[in-house]
Amino acid sequence: MEAFAGLLQGFDVALKPINLLWGFIGVTLGTFVGVLPGVGPALTVAMLLPLTAQLDPTGALIMFAGIYYGAMFGGSTTTILLNTPGESASIATALEGNKMAKAGRAGPALATSAIGSFVAGTIAVVLLTLLAPVVVEVALKFGPAEYFALMVFAFTTVAAVLGASTTRGLASLFVGLMLGLVGIDSQTGQPRFAFGVPELLDGIDVVVLAVGLFAVGETLYVAAYTSRLPETLEKMSGSIWMSAQDWKRSAPAWLRATAIGFPFGSIPAGGAEIPTFLSYSLEKKLTKYPEEFGSGAIEGVAGPEAANNASATGVLVPLLTLGIPTSATAAILLTAFQNYGIQPGPLLFQIQPDLVWGLIASMYVGNVILLVLNLPLIGIWVKVLSIPRPMLYAGILVFATLGAYSLHQSWVDLATLYVFGLLGFVMRRFDIPVAPAVIGLILGPLAETQFRRALSISQGDASVFLTQPISAAFLAVTAALVVVPWLVRRRRRLRKLG
Amino acid sequence: MRRSGAQIALSLAVLALGAGVALGTAFLPAQSGYARIGPNFIPAVVAFGLIVAGAFLLVEALSGGWRSMPEPAERTEHALHWGAFAWISGGLVAHMALMQWAGFVLAGAVLFACVARGFGSARALRDAGVGLALSLGVFLFFVRVLNVSLPGGWLKPLIGGL
Repeated sequence: MEAFAGLLQGFDVALKPINLLWGFIGVTLGTFVGVLPGVGPALTVAMLLPLTAQLDPTGALIMFAGIYYGAMFGGSTTTILLNTPGESASIATALEGNKMAKAGRAGPALATSAIGSFVAGTIAVVLLTLLAPVVVEVALKFGPAEYFALMVFAFTTVAAVLGASTTRGLASLFVGLMLGLVGIDSQTGQPRFAFGVPELLDGIDVVVLAVGLFAVGETLYVAAYTSRLPETLEKMSGSIWMSAQDWKRSAPAWLRATAIGFPFGSIPAGGAEIPTFLSYSLEKKLTKYPEEFGSGAIEGVAGPEAANNASATGVLVPLLTLGIPTSATAAILLTAFQNYGIQPGPLLFQIQPDLVWGLIASMYVGNVILLVLNLPLIGIWVKVLSIPRPMLYAGILVFATLGAYSLHQSWVDLATLYVFGLLGFVMRRFDIPVAPAVIGLILGPLAETQFRRALSISQGDASVFLTQPISAAFLAVTAALVVVPWLVRRRRRLRKLG
Repeated sequence: MRRSGAQIALSLAVLALGAGVALGTAFLPAQSGYARIGPNFIPAVVAFGLIVAGAFLLVEALSGGWRSMPEPAERTEHALHWGAFAWISGGLVAHMALMQWAGFVLAGAVLFACVARGFGSARALRDAGVGLALSLGVFLFFVRVLNVSLPGGWLKPLIGGL
């Protein structure tokens, strides 16, 4: 009930003409940038961050909600027409989506992805509305020990459990944690690893890391390793509308995918990759047209796209209620909050209910804007794809460097950006996941603060993490997540040998 | 799978990074309040983590290569194109150097032209022109509309800025 009142109040904020305008601009810009090949949602949000410099916090965050949704939708357009998934969560969509486009069914593929995103996004926001106050209620009882344990859980799932390789995930995480050490220690004021450089005393900005890894690193990688390959852009031919049969096959897939995607996003485990693949294989199993899978089955687009969107909304549950980002995009959204001096968490729901509920309400609105604006405009977005590659990447780098430079008006940030670009290039080439590094950078300092606060309260007694029941439970689940798969693999290997 | 020199080098780099953090940690004060740990505790944990991760990577690299890497066939890549890499890197470094001196607009135009060249564009003058127009538009939008200050450099008498 409290949620309902809050939401009504939120709609009051979100439906103000000026905020509607910000939402509208956000969705349009987000889609435009998201459509650009190689630009995923995380990079879109990071690159558009400087634009909000002059907005009030509510307007800026509403614009970001629009950018977030627009970027996701734009990304799927590119995935379907160009077969270049901008992020790992779009790989499952590319499997069937690009096949549909090749068969001249690009229109229905884009339509099912847009409408599916709308359906999944809207249901997920309803779930977010209902779930957030409950989580807040629990989270208000959390002390530093509980938060620290929860963050360790998030680190572990993001780095060790979700990726292809635990070793590479952990290496990436610790590089991010190391970058998080740079700057002034928030507890004692002691400078750490800043080497006397004033720009480094502020710490390393998540935006610089994300833009460096995603924009500069990706551009270097594409130029050096794939730019000399031929590329085929599928034409947008035929009707965009879905036939009655398309609807009948898509609708159940959207709903099932929402049921998979939202929980995956909302437990602090992050990553939309697993739910999209789960949805893909579920649809493949349930379909009445198994022969179409592999040559363009509409369920194979509808499911993963809906799962991706539901999970992206689910990620906002831990972000808003606990202040814990579990995807690279969420990490950047958290920076956007922090730039305004806002620390998401249970207290935010009490101190600034207008802002939080306004943001949640604007997601309902953003989903509608996305559908009514973008479906008819697909033709225009597709044109963006025909920008010649040299121009496209040159433009991306002009904007990427602008974002870094505008932080301190200093070339040091540009140098840092280039170093992260080289890092991103190497990570991309050797299949090292980048999300753990981004999350490590932003969550590491928060985790350290909670850790030291917990120890201050317990007078240095480290057993506090194990004697508090909630903290102990999180740590136990974390340990199980690491140990159980390892034991299973080991047993399997032993059985094979024996 | 053949032994990859690059994987071994990267594993060693992670190890070296861990050693570097450990060294830096040694210079941090261990002063402690009620918590009984100081600003050097977490850096030590991070150093340990990097060393462990680097060691595991090295073991994998020396025993048949890093695990669960994508198959070469799955990766649609051509051989490393050094020219492309060099043009873009050069563009970024030139941009860094030109920013304070020649200003945002000219630095942006140079960066744009270099990146386009790296992607195989042969029309340097056209690229520089497009880059100039784009960075001028961005400059005016940020300086005039958003009130974000950017260096005008050589063009300052014409367009303003810092």
